[in-house]
Amino acid sequence: MSDINLKIDGKNVTATKGTNIFMAAKNNGIYIPGLCYHPKLTQYGGCRLCMVEVTERGRTRHRFSCAQPVSEGMSVKTKTSEVDKYTKSVVEYLLAHHPLDCPTCDKSGECGLQDITHDLKLSAGRFKTVRLDAPMKRDNPLLEYNTNRCILCGRCVKVCKEVEGVGAIDYQNRGIKTVIGTAFDKPLDCTFCGGCVSVCPTGSWQDRTLKFRARPWELKKTSTICTYCAVGCTVVVNTKKNEVMRITSDDDLGINEGNLCVKGKFGHEFINSSRRVKTPLMRKSGVLRPVTWEEALNHVSKRFTEIASEHGGKAIGGIGSEKCTNEDNYLFQKFCRTVLGTNNIDNISNIKSPSLNRLVNESVEYEIAAASVEEIEKADTLFFVGADVAEAHPVIGSMTRKAILANNAKLIVANARNIEFNNSAKKEIRMQYSIGTQTQLINTLSILILNGELVNYKKVETSTENFKEWYSSLKKSDMGIRKVSTLTNVSEEVIKSAAELLAKPGKCYIICGKDIEEDPSAENAIRALMDLCALINAGGSDKVSLVFSRANNNSQGVNDMGVVPDFLPGYLDINDPANRKKFEDSWRVTLSDDVSMEDSDNVFDLASKGKIKALYVMGENPIVSYQNGKKAKAAFKKADFVVVQDSFLTETAQLADVVFPASTYAEKEGTFTNMGMTVQGLNKVIEPVGESRPDWQIVCELAKKMGHPFYYISPKSIKDEIGKCVSIYEGIKNNNLKKDGSRWVASVYDGNLERDGFRWVSYDNLERDGFRWVSSEYDKYEPLKYIFEISKKRSPVIKKNRDYPFILLTGYSLRHQGTYSRNSSSLVSLASECFIEINANNARRTKIADGDMVKIESAQGKLKLKAKVTSRVPEGAVFVSEDYEWAPINDLRVNEYTNVRISKTR
Amino acid sequence: MIRPLIQGLALTLKHFLNPFKVVTMQYPDEKWTPYPRFRGLHELQRDENGKEKCVACGLCSTVCPAECIELEGDENKKGERFAKTYEINMLRCIFCGYCEEVCPEEAIFLRQDYELASENIKDHIYNKNKILVPLKKKK
Repeated sequence: MSDINLKIDGKNVTATKGTNIFMAAKNNGIYIPGLCYHPKLTQYGGCRLCMVEVTERGRTRHRFSCAQPVSEGMSVKTKTSEVDKYTKSVVEYLLAHHPLDCPTCDKSGECGLQDITHDLKLSAGRFKTVRLDAPMKRDNPLLEYNTNRCILCGRCVKVCKEVEGVGAIDYQNRGIKTVIGTAFDKPLDCTFCGGCVSVCPTGSWQDRTLKFRARPWELKKTSTICTYCAVGCTVVVNTKKNEVMRITSDDDLGINEGNLCVKGKFGHEFINSSRRVKTPLMRKSGVLRPVTWEEALNHVSKRFTEIASEHGGKAIGGIGSEKCTNEDNYLFQKFCRTVLGTNNIDNISNIKSPSLNRLVNESVEYEIAAASVEEIEKADTLFFVGADVAEAHPVIGSMTRKAILANNAKLIVANARNIEFNNSAKKEIRMQYSIGTQTQLINTLSILILNGELVNYKKVETSTENFKEWYSSLKKSDMGIRKVSTLTNVSEEVIKSAAELLAKPGKCYIICGKDIEEDPSAENAIRALMDLCALINAGGSDKVSLVFSRANNNSQGVNDMGVVPDFLPGYLDINDPANRKKFEDSWRVTLSDDVSMEDSDNVFDLASKGKIKALYVMGENPIVSYQNGKKAKAAFKKADFVVVQDSFLTETAQLADVVFPASTYAEKEGTFTNMGMTVQGLNKVIEPVGESRPDWQIVCELAKKMGHPFYYISPKSIKDEIGKCVSIYEGIKNNNLKKDGSRWVASVYDGNLERDGFRWVSYDNLERDGFRWVSSEYDKYEPLKYIFEISKKRSPVIKKNRDYPFILLTGYSLRHQGTYSRNSSSLVSLASECFIEINANNARRTKIADGDMVKIESAQGKLKLKAKVTSRVPEGAVFVSEDYEWAPINDLRVNEYTNVRISKTR
Repeated sequence: MIRPLIQGLALTLKHFLNPFKVVTMQYPDEKWTPYPRFRGLHELQRDENGKEKCVACGLCSTVCPAECIELEGDENKKGERFAKTYEINMLRCIFCGYCEEVCPEEAIFLRQDYELASENIKDHIYNKNKILVPLKKKK
């Protein structure tokens, strides 16, 4: 893009071609009033406020700066008497109808219209008109809309359509009667992303969670990282007197460009909820009673010491948290491994998809998973496979829509369910495969790419290893496209066009979702995806990147920090004595050689077998979130001693012997690692609520009580240790986290310049001046040659069961996730009920109508839920979200495909 | 020189000993009437229907130079804005009257009440019960 020189108010300004005058002035600190233009939305030119005087090629004219692109030698004046007169009269007209109810309007103080009125020094208008007095529209618990205050700038309409892809609101009527509203004035039915509130320049759209409790100028604003999904959006928490009032966003901070989802924007009420556990609780004569910290810590340390000396350290199991910071998790595993002497630690994301860590790691190594999430915006092709982006990671959806708008990106959606993803892509390919056939589908794509010679066969052969063998085995198992088409229930043409699209040059991002990762055949499917990526990367010209979507904000981090039985922090194999030695040296302890990796049992298996006597759970609710809830519950009941560290009295905490009150994300510092492996720093927003303490502090106290004091004074000192000990987090420092966050993948490429045999270069042979930024220049580094592996593992087949004819599919929900959203009252009142989604044909046959109560039974248990008849679910399957904690669907599940039966009930 | 001095002192003594002429105000027995524009204790107003005028816009607490006003808004059953709590710390208040001046709803006035002493320090935080005009009884 070429630069253009122009003059604004006598100041020489350089701007890229295509920028409008408004942005060129704004970027150079020159203020032009304007209400309808927003940099992330398309230009509209409706408010008529940004008038400037433009002199170009000897002609002076008046132009709207938001609609006029810059051109060479242009001279712009923003403050002439004519411009001033014009702008003033426009605002006067705007104010003629505006209700001027600033005292009762929550926007007052941060209102664009108010600011401009003050700037122009306008007093009471000359126009005498009837003020509008339409009632406030309050048909939902989150957003309210006031037509009177609206200046019809259209920002909300555009944000809803372009960013969120919903288009729930639009202009109604004409002329003076124009208002913004929903179709047929029905109650607002949208994703409730709150984008309209963020962009509204007046007080028309309001955040109902603030509810008049504070004025904008009283609020202290602290930016931090959202605690819900794995995208890692930056949120700005607004607080007043140690209480969170609302959450706003900042367009210039973080990766999300000011876009949030319903949970991030409105799900903050749990922080100051009255249901928070505020003091330590201890079970005395069967009931949990509040005790002092001292008493609780003493009791726990005593019991842990007893159990460890009686049964050995192995008899204590630890569950780390996907919600806690990297620092908390690092310290937790260090505590478990060094102080308790156990290696039976795990986290729920690893238990759900045990092969994922290894595969993610390999993909990083082969440079397949090298993309950070914000790069999606630059994509030419996007492939969602098994990912329900709109429900699970809504902001990824916004990024995708941006790519579609800006680069005309093409979209391929492959899912067993007919998921919703609203977008304006010119080319969208849908592949709704039958359940369990994803591996065949992906392999067929590879075969089609190779057979159709869409990639350079020779190039693939030279730049990868084991390609020939892999190809021949693939061909051997190939059943021909026709058969695959009948098996997967996707038409031949669609599969062919998808293969063509994937192999086309251009940046391609494959988002691998939960339906692939947590499927029983996860390993094969992910391996197939990796093969596909490697194939196109090696044989084509451009990059294909795999993005592994994760469930929670720090699902990536908890695994990076080694809260898993098979890896030390930084994915160092625990079975390798050299790796153990390295950590023994830096921790100055001896780790137990007793690494129980022989049996494939996880912590809950061991506990229910009685091999684990005590469980220490940090910030997790396994009874609900573990995919086999029954087993988890049995494990907790069987264990002699259970310690839970959480912010709320969850189902797991209710079974505990001691509950430590833990602080939420708003009350602590630390770092989260998102699903693009970007490490971002948290800021402390408020002081801990009640007597709660940050998790790292609790672990420190406990370690001190048990005679192995850790000398950390703040999360910063833990972070420094992580920067030293954990090779993939090498060189992480507070100040380089401030703006963009650091990416550990980038550090891997940085440190691996010499291409020595091992992947992560240990820290002492790395003397670098600083930490390299999120950089796409890993061209210096040649990735390892991709080795195609011939998978011998057979994918599990779906067992048909006559008694339980339906297959239970589970997934994420947009409006809820875990304990936090459950305790945010606004979110609960918005989405108070968990539905079971049933295919319309099945519903007709079983005579279930929309809204009926349905009993859903599996061999494990039963649950009553309200029915929602949709076409989103394939025939023969039902879908229930896992994220409604009060509807514990995991109680019904087993580790494989769960067969269920449904029946109408009352 | 001595004579005028004695004359002066004599006059003083005369007034001093005169039992019928009291110069100072005999405060508890005798009440001072403030001038019309005197600024005393605040009063929160009600409108003609008996509804509180204050909408908790927060301008008074923002403008207050002594930072003595604290309030928190909330939503009433009709969805209108009102002050859930409204507290004035009278120990801090300097009776400047800015709050009255800034109030867009004419909801707060500094009235004539000047008898604000108390033995208990907590009594000096005036909440809404104390400063809100009582509802007029319906006739």
